[in-house]
Amino acid sequence: MTTEKLALTTNSPAHKPRSKGGADNALAAELMRLLGPKKVLSSLAERLSYRFDAIQFGVTPLAVVLPESTEDVIATVKAARRAGVRIVGRGAASGLSGGAAPMQPSVVISFTRMTKLEIFPERREAIAQPGVITLAVTDAARPHGLIYPPDPASFRTSTIGGNLGENAGGPLCFKYGVTGDYVTALDFVDAEGELHTLKRDAYDLAGLLIGSEGTLGLITSATLRLTPPPKFTRTLMAHFAEVGQAAEAVSAAIAAGAVPGKLEFMDQACTNAVEDYLHLGLPCDAGAVLLVDTDGDDLETVEVERALVEAACLEAGGVVRRAEGEAEAAALWQARRSVSPALGRIRPQRMNEDIVVPRSVLPEVVRQIRALGDASGFKLVQFGHIGDGNLHPNILFDPRKESEEAVHALAHEIALVALRHGGVLSGEHGIGTMKRDFMRDAVDAETMAALWNVKRALDPSGALNPGKILPDETHA
Amino acid sequence: MNNDIPVQALGPQGEVMAHAVDACVHCGFCLPACPTYALLGDEMDSPRGRIVLMKEVLEGGLDLLNAAPHLDRCLGCQACVTACPSGVPYGELITSFRGWSEPQRQRSPLDKAKRYAILKALPAPKLFSVAARVGQYAKPLAPVLPAALRGPLDLLPEHVPAMQPSPRVTPAQGQRRGRVAFLTGCAQQALAPNFNAATLRVLARNGIEVVIPDGQGCCGAAALHTGARDEALRLVRANLDAFNPDEYDAILSNAAGCGAGLKEYPIILHGLHDEERAKAFSAKVQDISEYLATLAREEGLEPFMPASRPLKIAYHDACHLAHAQKVRSAPRELLRMIPGVSIVEIPEGDLCCGSAGTYNLEQPELAGQLGARKAGHILSTTPDLIASGNIGCHTQIQSHVRRQGSPVPVMHTVEVLDLAYQGEL
Repeated sequence: MTTEKLALTTNSPAHKPRSKGGADNALAAELMRLLGPKKVLSSLAERLSYRFDAIQFGVTPLAVVLPESTEDVIATVKAARRAGVRIVGRGAASGLSGGAAPMQPSVVISFTRMTKLEIFPERREAIAQPGVITLAVTDAARPHGLIYPPDPASFRTSTIGGNLGENAGGPLCFKYGVTGDYVTALDFVDAEGELHTLKRDAYDLAGLLIGSEGTLGLITSATLRLTPPPKFTRTLMAHFAEVGQAAEAVSAAIAAGAVPGKLEFMDQACTNAVEDYLHLGLPCDAGAVLLVDTDGDDLETVEVERALVEAACLEAGGVVRRAEGEAEAAALWQARRSVSPALGRIRPQRMNEDIVVPRSVLPEVVRQIRALGDASGFKLVQFGHIGDGNLHPNILFDPRKESEEAVHALAHEIALVALRHGGVLSGEHGIGTMKRDFMRDAVDAETMAALWNVKRALDPSGALNPGKILPDETHA
Repeated sequence: MNNDIPVQALGPQGEVMAHAVDACVHCGFCLPACPTYALLGDEMDSPRGRIVLMKEVLEGGLDLLNAAPHLDRCLGCQACVTACPSGVPYGELITSFRGWSEPQRQRSPLDKAKRYAILKALPAPKLFSVAARVGQYAKPLAPVLPAALRGPLDLLPEHVPAMQPSPRVTPAQGQRRGRVAFLTGCAQQALAPNFNAATLRVLARNGIEVVIPDGQGCCGAAALHTGARDEALRLVRANLDAFNPDEYDAILSNAAGCGAGLKEYPIILHGLHDEERAKAFSAKVQDISEYLATLAREEGLEPFMPASRPLKIAYHDACHLAHAQKVRSAPRELLRMIPGVSIVEIPEGDLCCGSAGTYNLEQPELAGQLGARKAGHILSTTPDLIASGNIGCHTQIQSHVRRQGSPVPVMHTVEVLDLAYQGEL
């Protein structure tokens, strides 16, 4: 079992910290001297608070820096480089693939205090520092008649920096795209501590940084595109006896010409977990629930699209409920946003997958994954942005009673289902450490070598977020 | 969160704590709800971070000394409980942890003296009233006093009202529709005696007989939440002796903090011999607004006189009402029943005002920042009146609203109802 797999649980005995207070290493002391004590965390209680994300526990960092400016970031990177210590960037750490959890003793740069945000309504842009909360961009833009569409389920918690690192999406991604589609320019600090400004011309280096999970550079500012919100939105919910039927309805609705703003699904276990939490009257007996928004500036088109989706759902054997008014629609969407954490009510630990498959194969893929789950003996749930072909099969388990190797084996099988059907390993949560081992199935050796060349070109000493995305070359 | 907490060694409260740690999936949904995370922006001052710290201390991997500053900064507002989709009983965890860890704490003599004074004075209305009076005269000296004494003085109103004794039984007016027991609260009697007077008048007017049982005392929440577990248990048992739940339709409190404390009794006594009694007791406990709103829905209330002019009321959700007791709609429903009254929602309404029991005294700096933020948000709605259902919030909001130069009156929800009955609103 590799270190990464061990670290999936909270209690990796190898990393059990020793109790000690104060700046207990030279690097922390040096960072304090450079940045002042308020921006550097060095006591054990402070440091061990920065070793996890929303799924995984890693290694306690040597020091944590809470920069307030790009200069602070530069100074930290240079000091870490002098000390030969690795660097892990971090936002709110609500990520689901281990991207923000350090896998070896490192300096963690937590961007939560870099929260400057400016809105430029005349050019429909926002300039945000990485610590800005995702929802805050839309909140600030709305008075100017604009919104920032990327809407990960964690948008009240997650930061723009974290969204950029993982190229996060959300329910709106089907029609409106993911984080990377809204970035027009970036500033980033490289592994040497040099600052660069990127526009999306010449080589699309910004595109390379987005979704690189902090392995190629640390983004310190982003220019984001804003758009006017659609004038009209209509919501419907449909439920089905079986997950494959929901997938059939999705394929049929899109083939018929509907382009919903959001098209999400939850299976029975998800619906029940959320119902336990929110008590919304969700159809708990159904095998799968679809949640759909059609939107646009022309009400007639929006209604026609909703009718197309409704017809497809009925055709596939579904029961349809139209949301009457905004409050009901908002409650239904809150249900969807709460799926991921509400699963904690079922089992304390989970392995989250993030596959994307062509929509034409959706019914087959969700049924195959369902069958794998049933055969495994694990509690397996599925939800996701099904309109986009983006599925989140989650394996729920109790590490005290169930084998983590078996969890990984099942996750691997699921990944292979996606790859066999022409899909990919990650839609929006990144590869991190969770799916790193599956990369060799997804990427041929020549392409992997090209990825490693890119990594070496931008980060020759491997200082930035080591152990993420790319499997070790030595095992290739 | 997977853990190695030695449950057996920690007793019944260990079970409570380990269960809460188990339930946390460290998703981070609690972060935006947490007032200290909003102010400080660091993980160890967030609910998720605190759960990790408590887990590490309980497992023996981290010294309590190291974790304590961050745990002490928790207001116990339980906004994270509302935000948590995994159902982590954070309130039970932090309360149990404080009870478990307090005997191991080493505190400075001044700190000890202050805590002792607070825990003695809060539950004793007469003593508190005397202390408040002394404090009132000491206020001008505040700038030259140590910070430990400046905090409490800052909070005192300019004028400390005279104590008003409450009758043991207040008969129902007209046909008797119910009989309730009432917990009179502690500091509240000294600082705002009209809260109780208004409560008795409003209940009586609606045909409810109110009994104030002898032998009742402090609910014990302040002692419990500051870790004085033995003291808390003593107070809890005294109340279980004083209130016989079989005799009343309900046991009422008009202070959100006390009401939440009373509802917590079964948790406090978990695994102890009075647990069943505590369950029967807490099943009868209701906030005054819950009780009145239910009465209004089921049988109707006596009609209110209209307000003398259209009145915009900013209703502040006390954390111990909204988050701990999940009572949000009842006070709003009641206030809206007064003709001419409209309710405005306060921006960032879920964020604690910073009062939080003894927090104001123990963490004056953070409490002050939260108080100023809350007052700013409230005043941004340009209300004619501010209402809330907790003495702590009341004092904090009044003091910060005045500091920002506003004369807007601050009242308990039941005071507003009382004025409407008297045609003086």
